[in-house]
Amino acid sequence: MVKRSEKAKTMRKLIKAIWIFNWFNSCGFAELVPLVGSRWDMERFGMIIVGNPRHADVLFIAGYQTHKSIERAKRIYEQMAEPRVVIALGSCTMTGGMYWDSYNTIKKLDDYLPVTMYIPGCPPRPEAVFEACEKIFEHVKELE
Amino acid sequence: MTKKEIKLLDEINNKFKIDGRIQREHRIWVSINVNKLIEICKWLKEKGFVHLSAISVTDWLEKKEYELTYHLWSYDNKMLVTVKTNINRNTPTVESVSPIWGESAQIHERELHELFGVKFKGNKDLLPLFLENWQGPAPFRKDFDWRDYVREKFYDKKNEREKVYYD
Repeated sequence: MVKRSEKAKTMRKLIKAIWIFNWFNSCGFAELVPLVGSRWDMERFGMIIVGNPRHADVLFIAGYQTHKSIERAKRIYEQMAEPRVVIALGSCTMTGGMYWDSYNTIKKLDDYLPVTMYIPGCPPRPEAVFEACEKIFEHVKELE
Repeated sequence: MTKKEIKLLDEINNKFKIDGRIQREHRIWVSINVNKLIEICKWLKEKGFVHLSAISVTDWLEKKEYELTYHLWSYDNKMLVTVKTNINRNTPTVESVSPIWGESAQIHERELHELFGVKFKGNKDLLPLFLENWQGPAPFRKDFDWRDYVREKFYDKKNEREKVYYD
């Protein structure tokens, strides 16, 4: 039998598949498409995209959010079961990105939703998204 | 120039006593007083201009006027007629063309009501389309400084990191 380290043991206990609900505006989903494709295939880690926020553990938000869409994002967040994680992708969710002077888009997402993690980049690399998901595994106990 | 443009312009001249302009082949510009707008629209619809491609507003700040532009397309004649009319910028009110072209006019007018504040009398649904809970002025007006609005609403000059937005 293979001997596992203590850390690996706890990890194995805690790990569950990450189910994702996507809430993307504008070029948001284009940023995440490589993750779904065969090269970085996220399903090998058990990450699947679900069609209902009630089944999701993680909410991915990418692209700029308008005042209209952030209201919908809040409703999606409220429907998710705990422990829930919000991961914001790209520079638009952090600072407004190229829409920093737009009257109709929000600038910082954490003014509206409790963001767990920001992934910078325009677009963020798929490896960076995986690293963020690895951090969820590591800290899943704190979330519960 | 083919004959159909000249023929239509003559008809418009006889009926409404205005001179249109042939912009190029298949294209005519007509400027008309706002009082006669509905009349000419109804007349053109009967002539076969069944497709309202777009309504747009141009904001002429110095002249204190909004210029409304209606693009009408006829499938039978293969012609695009552009009807232009001017309205006051401060109290922009105009008769709606939604009884003539229905849904396609309605959605254009709804958008222009939201972005320019033009009131279309007779349009049944002028609720905000994109800007929910919007308190500011109509955002596409030329005298609306959106950058100042954003600084006021979203940023803080005392915040060291957000100072750059004020340069």
